[in-house]
Amino acid sequence: MSQRERRSFVVCEACDVSKEVDDPNEAVAFYRRHRSITGHDVAWGWADFDGLESSSEDDLASVIAGLEDRFEDGVPLGIVSAAMADAGRTIGETLEAIRSLRMDGELYEPRDDHIRVT
Amino acid sequence: MTRWNDGTDATASVSPDITDETNALPAKYFTDPAVHEMEKEKVFSRYWVYAGHANAIEEPGEYFTRTIGDRNVIVLRDKDREVRAFYNVCAHRGSKMVDDTPMTDPGSANGIRCPYHLWTYDLDGTLRSTPRSFETAGMNPDLEDEDVPKLDREDNGLMEIHLDSIGPLLFVNFDADPMPLEEQAGTLKEELESFPLEEYELARRYVSEVECNWKTFSGNYSECDHCQANHQDWIKGISLAESELVVDDHYWVLHYTHDEGVEAAESLIEGEARFYYFWPNFTLNMYGNADGYGTYIIDPIDEGRFQLIADYYFKDSELSEEEQEFVKLSRKLQEEDFELVERQYQGMKSGALAQGQLGPNEHTVHRLHRLAQEAYEA
Repeated sequence: MSQRERRSFVVCEACDVSKEVDDPNEAVAFYRRHRSITGHDVAWGWADFDGLESSSEDDLASVIAGLEDRFEDGVPLGIVSAAMADAGRTIGETLEAIRSLRMDGELYEPRDDHIRVT
Repeated sequence: MTRWNDGTDATASVSPDITDETNALPAKYFTDPAVHEMEKEKVFSRYWVYAGHANAIEEPGEYFTRTIGDRNVIVLRDKDREVRAFYNVCAHRGSKMVDDTPMTDPGSANGIRCPYHLWTYDLDGTLRSTPRSFETAGMNPDLEDEDVPKLDREDNGLMEIHLDSIGPLLFVNFDADPMPLEEQAGTLKEELESFPLEEYELARRYVSEVECNWKTFSGNYSECDHCQANHQDWIKGISLAESELVVDDHYWVLHYTHDEGVEAAESLIEGEARFYYFWPNFTLNMYGNADGYGTYIIDPIDEGRFQLIADYYFKDSELSEEEQEFVKLSRKLQEEDFELVERQYQGMKSGALAQGQLGPNEHTVHRLHRLAQEAYEA
C-alpha cells in the first residue's frame, strides 16, 4: 500500500472530489465549507486515526460513550463521524444526529467540536 | 533577479515594467498568515468581487449567500426584480440570519427573518416588523408602553452592499465609496456583455480544496508556458503558437485557437477559446470546442489553502454525453494544475526563495503580482 493510500480522506461523490486529512476534525471543517458552497454532503472514503474503533453499531450515543475513555477532553466530531461511517452514515448525517442529541441534553461540548455524553 | 533567503539579499518591489527587470512578488506574500489577514481588507474589501450568477435567482424572493473573507452576504432579487446584496446580519443584535445557501440550491422567501428575536425585513432591506415585545415595555418598570419609541423602518433596516453586474455576472464591493465596476472592469465589461451569457444555464459546480496560496493558482491560470509539458491531452487540439496574452489594468485574457471548433451557430466563439482573469479572484472561461462557458472563483481559505469553485454553463443544464466528456476533461486539467501548484507551494514554503523572477512571456503573471503589490501599498 502506498503512502498516499494510507492517508485518511473524505469524498464528495457529486463533485467527484476527495480531500486528504491528517486530523479527523479537518474532515468536519471541509464538510462545512463544502456544504456552504454546494449544499452537498460528504462521506469518509478511508479513516485511520489513533483511538478510532470500527463499529457497525448505529446507536450514536453508544458509539460516543464507547470512544470517551480514549479522549479525555471529548471525542472529536471527526472521530465520531468516522466511527459512524461503518454504519453507512455520511458526515452531514452524523453531525445532524449529534446536534439533535445535544439539543436533547444527552451530549455536551467540553471544547469546540469535541463531545461527551452527559 | 532571483533572490534566495541566504542571509544577504533583501527583496525588491515587483518590477514596474516587465521589459526591464522582472522581479516577482516576494515569496512571503504567498506564505505569511498575516498577509492573508491583510488581504481580507486590502484586496477583498476594496475591489469588486464576484458574488454569483443572476440566473440562479430569477424570481422575486429567491436568494443565495456568499462568503467573502469573513463577510457573509445575502444576494437576492427583490419585488421590483432588482438584485441586491445585504450583510447576513440582523440590525437588532447582529445575529447571522439565514443559513448558508449555495447558488446551486437557492432559497426563496418573501422576507428575511432573523430566527433569534424574529425581526423581519422586506426584500429591499427595510424593517418590516418586530414582535410585540419590541413595541411595549411591560417588563421594564422604568418605561411606559406609550414611551417606547417606534422603530424607523429604514434606519433599522439591513446594511446593503454595493452590487453591480457584467451581464448576468454579479459583483459586490464592501468599500463605502468604491470605484465604479466599469472602472475596474475596463473594456472587459463591454466585451463580455457582447456575448449572450444570460442564455446559458448553470449545469455543474465542482468545488475542490487545494494546498496552496490563491495567488499561486492564479499565476498558473494566467500563463500557458507550462501547458506543453503538463497538459498533454489538452494541447493536442490547440494551436499554441497562435495563442496570445492580452493585459489590461485589472484583467487579462489568454486567447487560443482550437483546431476543430464547435459547429453550433449560437456558440460564443467558434474555435477560439478565451480565458479571462478578472482581478482579484474571478475567471471566465470560454471554450472554443464546446458551446458553453465556465467560471472559476479562487477563494482563499487561509494563506496556504484555497477553494476552486468551478461552475459550468451550457444551453441546457441537462448535459449531453459530449458535454459531460468535455467537463470531465476540464476537471482533469484542474487536477493536473492542482498538482503543479501544490508542488510549487511546497517549494515556496521551504523558505529558500525570497523572490522569484518572471519570464518574458509571463506579463499576465506580472500584472497579477503588480496588482497585489498595489493593493498592499494602498
